[in-house]
Amino acid sequence: MVRVRLVPIGLAAAFLCSTGLASAAPFKCPSVGGEFVFGQEANVNSLDQPASNTISTRNIAMNIFETLMTRDENNNAITDLAESYTESPDRLTYTFKLRQGVKFHNGKPMTSADVLASFDRYNKVGLERGMFKNVAGWDAPDASTFVIKMKQPQPTFIEQLSSFSVPIVIIPAEFKDDPAMQLHVVGTGPWQLVDFTPGGQVKLKRYDGYTPNTKYEERTGFGGYKQACFDTVVFRIVTEAGARVAGLKTGELQGVEDLPTKSLDELKKDKNITIVPLPNWWIQIALPSITNPPTDNLLLRKAIQAALDMDEIMDAATDGNYKLNVGFQYPNQPSYTDVGKETYNIKDPAKAKEYLKQAGYKSEPIVLLTNKDYTSMYNAALVMAEQLKAIGIKADLKVVDWPTSVGIMTKNEPGWNFFFTGYGTQPALGALATMQFFTPPNANYKPGEGKDDPEIIKAWDDMNNLPDPKDRQAAFARMQKLILEKVYALPFGALTKVQGVRANVQGYKSFRIPRMSNVWFTK
Amino acid sequence: MASLVLRRVLGALPVLLIVSLITFGMMRLIPGDPSSVIGGMSATPAQLEQIRRDLGLDEPIAVQLVRWYGGLLQGNLGRSILMGQDVMSVTLQRLPVTIALSAYALVITLVLGLASGIFAALRQNTLIDQLAMMLAMLGISIPNFFLGLLMIIFFAVQLGWLPTGGYVGFTDDPIGWLRTSTMPAISLALLQVGLLARITRSTMLEVLRQDYIRTARAKGLPERLVVMKHALSNALIPITTVVGIIVSLLVSGSVVTETLFSIPGMGQLLTQAVLNRDYPMVQGGLFLVTAFLVLINIGVDVCYSLLDPRVRHE
Amino acid sequence: MNSAAAQLELDADVPETHVHPARATLKRLFRHRLFLSGLGLFGIILAAAVLAPWIAPTDPTKLAMRFKFRPPGSEFAFGTDNFGRSLWSRVIWGAQLSVIIGSSVVALNAVFGTLIGALAGYFRSLDNALMRVNDAMMAFPAILLAIGITAVLGPSTLNAILALAIVYVPRTARIVRSSVIVLREMEYVQAAVAAGAGHWRILRRHILPNAMAPLIVQLSFLFAYAVLSEATLSFLGLGAVPPTPTWGNIMAEGRQYMVEAPWIITIPGIALMITVMGLNLLGDGLRDVLDPRLRIQQ
Repeated sequence: MVRVRLVPIGLAAAFLCSTGLASAAPFKCPSVGGEFVFGQEANVNSLDQPASNTISTRNIAMNIFETLMTRDENNNAITDLAESYTESPDRLTYTFKLRQGVKFHNGKPMTSADVLASFDRYNKVGLERGMFKNVAGWDAPDASTFVIKMKQPQPTFIEQLSSFSVPIVIIPAEFKDDPAMQLHVVGTGPWQLVDFTPGGQVKLKRYDGYTPNTKYEERTGFGGYKQACFDTVVFRIVTEAGARVAGLKTGELQGVEDLPTKSLDELKKDKNITIVPLPNWWIQIALPSITNPPTDNLLLRKAIQAALDMDEIMDAATDGNYKLNVGFQYPNQPSYTDVGKETYNIKDPAKAKEYLKQAGYKSEPIVLLTNKDYTSMYNAALVMAEQLKAIGIKADLKVVDWPTSVGIMTKNEPGWNFFFTGYGTQPALGALATMQFFTPPNANYKPGEGKDDPEIIKAWDDMNNLPDPKDRQAAFARMQKLILEKVYALPFGALTKVQGVRANVQGYKSFRIPRMSNVWFTK
Repeated sequence: MASLVLRRVLGALPVLLIVSLITFGMMRLIPGDPSSVIGGMSATPAQLEQIRRDLGLDEPIAVQLVRWYGGLLQGNLGRSILMGQDVMSVTLQRLPVTIALSAYALVITLVLGLASGIFAALRQNTLIDQLAMMLAMLGISIPNFFLGLLMIIFFAVQLGWLPTGGYVGFTDDPIGWLRTSTMPAISLALLQVGLLARITRSTMLEVLRQDYIRTARAKGLPERLVVMKHALSNALIPITTVVGIIVSLLVSGSVVTETLFSIPGMGQLLTQAVLNRDYPMVQGGLFLVTAFLVLINIGVDVCYSLLDPRVRHE
Repeated sequence: MNSAAAQLELDADVPETHVHPARATLKRLFRHRLFLSGLGLFGIILAAAVLAPWIAPTDPTKLAMRFKFRPPGSEFAFGTDNFGRSLWSRVIWGAQLSVIIGSSVVALNAVFGTLIGALAGYFRSLDNALMRVNDAMMAFPAILLAIGITAVLGPSTLNAILALAIVYVPRTARIVRSSVIVLREMEYVQAAVAAGAGHWRILRRHILPNAMAPLIVQLSFLFAYAVLSEATLSFLGLGAVPPTPTWGNIMAEGRQYMVEAPWIITIPGIALMITVMGLNLLGDGLRDVLDPRLRIQQ
């Protein structure tokens, strides 16, 4: 679990960055120049990072903007625009020292006034401003110091602050009043915006005034020592999977995301192409409404749980590129636990039918609410429906578009039983971020207003507030077990997303965003 | 002339009023809202609530209606929720893309459609005529997205001659524009080529039977002259009316073509806006496109009444 | 998107309506080459639609993952898709859906298009109001209007039918209206008015029967556009809900495999083309035979 490592870091504060830093020379681009064209699957509407939670925005924006703190390659919290930070002994004050010499793309130096303004704006339009509910205020005592004061100690605060889900990017103070979605795209990152055609492409160029973080010698996660090697980078929106494959083959695109599994065999044979798999991209999942009958009946939910064959579901969802996975974290994460594994991938029709009988199931329809916009969700629902039919459940599909399905789920309208989605960013951020989904208001299993499962709420409180990280981890394990045993969720498994680059592209490592820094063309 | 234009524009006003009312009503009735798109897949329920509040989606319909018409009267069409830009400026960015693509398709349509129609009419009932009409029939029967897919597979994937999609502005790089626009323009134009060829042929045949053509021939004018000067010029006049309808068809067809070839034009913009519930964008954008088409049709009608010999000879 | 096209082709010939003795008309139709070839092509689709339960007994939505991505061959005539579903079954059942959707749209147009067109054309007091709404509906780019309506109604087969009917009825109404306006001024109609016949009787006995010819031609083209537009809507993800095997859905689901398994998009695409071409040829034949002025040209 992330915070297991975080707390010692928090206490050791200022030392952390200076430790383990090598004396060797930092990364230098082996070759400089060229234009890298990346085929992005999803349309991007806005580059206003604080106001947008979509992957497509983050993909691009996080090459332009930087944050005080972020996560490294292994998801540990690290400083980026902050030089260091300290936590006061009473755990009520965090003091950040800013890195010197950092300039925005408009040439102005970054100071604590900009950080203050960025936090102010985030507090108005930032999608995760809920993380500030325990914050008493912030201040900029001098040009290179930024202070956050807490109302009460919150062991998980740094974990939230460094989250890359909707990062608190640092923008010039003059843009602090930009309304949501209308942020001027000026950051401190190695890339600066050239032009942006919504629905078409986003073009970036190297920012020559970039000041890398010399505490590191290599890029790590969203931070580290970053260098722009290409002259320009173009994110081109290519929604057709076939067109992305073709573009990569012909060299029209130098990198693409989301290659269909079916094309991989052939692409692997092509020596001009390097395949970059990105395992654990998201947890494919179905969430019940425990207020809509008949899934208000635990025994019926258990029958469904017992019937499912996760291999078959995940195979269809991903065309075969997946890993079976218990629960809400991935095995490569410190917080991973397989408690509740006895509820996973049971595929026992006899047992399922027995539960059905106990539940007194009388052929009421079970409606699977899915969408066509995300193929994997649609495919998973299609196969799950087949498996339910096989044990004698009357399973119906309700296929709508993504906004409609979210609307129906959020309002908990009648007439649906399972909502299909994927948990992408949150599991990667850690257990705390993921388990938020099961907490009020409007928890994902739809308990109804004020009727949240008290055991779940207790576990959540413990996850947040217990001082010892071990206890917090135990609380997470307890919460996962509860959710699985009460069938508040049906996590199917982990989906692998596959990216690909041309073979002459070096330094491209799979990560949650396509990082354009420290990547270069071989000559 | 001026009074004609004025009359037509005034006549279009009630149409535009109804159009604006329909677009407004339609968007309010669509289930779901943009919070799920802004929030993306990983938005927590609490976040969705917060986005909805931020966007003021809870305002009563009447307030929203007043705001819509108030803005419309001032030429302010509102601001796209998802893009943050105002609707007019987004439209002015995207419309030229669609217009350029449609213009390219229109050129293809006019050249191929007129040529094959005229040729077929002059060689009526020969093999050439039949072949041309068979191709025209094929043109109006092949779905443009199917043709687009086939072209992508063949010309982009197998042969690698043209890019699979994307768009380069004409002013940025004319050759790049040609490369990215040719397949979309062809797939967009083919239906219209077939239509125009068929109409041109039948109009030509009709003109060729007219008395003045017989007279011209009887006077011993060379056949070339008869065809070029008398027949063609007279046949082209009714065909003018067709251009307005063709432009409307092209804009409509561009919806699928732009989606298929990832071209950032109006069609793709509005389809996405509907799917993403970007209310102001759909309302304003659909209104502008429709107004644009209405204007084109007025223009075509005015041209027609200027060209029509029945008007001229009065 | 294409009904404007029908409009345009029909506008090219002012409807001059004559009562055809039905038998003579049929006789001429069955001697008409275009009509017959259209009938042949559409006949294939119609036969597939009607015989679907017998010639494609496999459930078109039944998953069989172990058979996925089989190319067309002896085992699966049209191959299988990414779920191992038989494309033969899906395309044949898709034919049935296309025919149902097309004929429903045609039926709705025949009823409401005639009603609105006749009212507007006959009662001049209604004309202005009806035609302004009509013009407004027609001013929208057709496919965008259909997308909007299906978004409102939610994606389903029935809603796709309704959306297409709403898009096309104004166009049909306009054709009926223009015939009615011409016919209303005819001497025999004026004579009937003078003789004191009621409006309803005049419309039913004297006007509508003579306005049928251009309507029938329009409806035959409309059938083609309805099938085509439904496929387009499905392809954009706004038509019938998958896994319903409409051709547009099959192609939409198959497009991401267009390079590795091209048969998934090609076969329904060809079926769609055959249907549309057959109906267009039928329409051409009907127009030649029912419209006397064009017949002279033959």
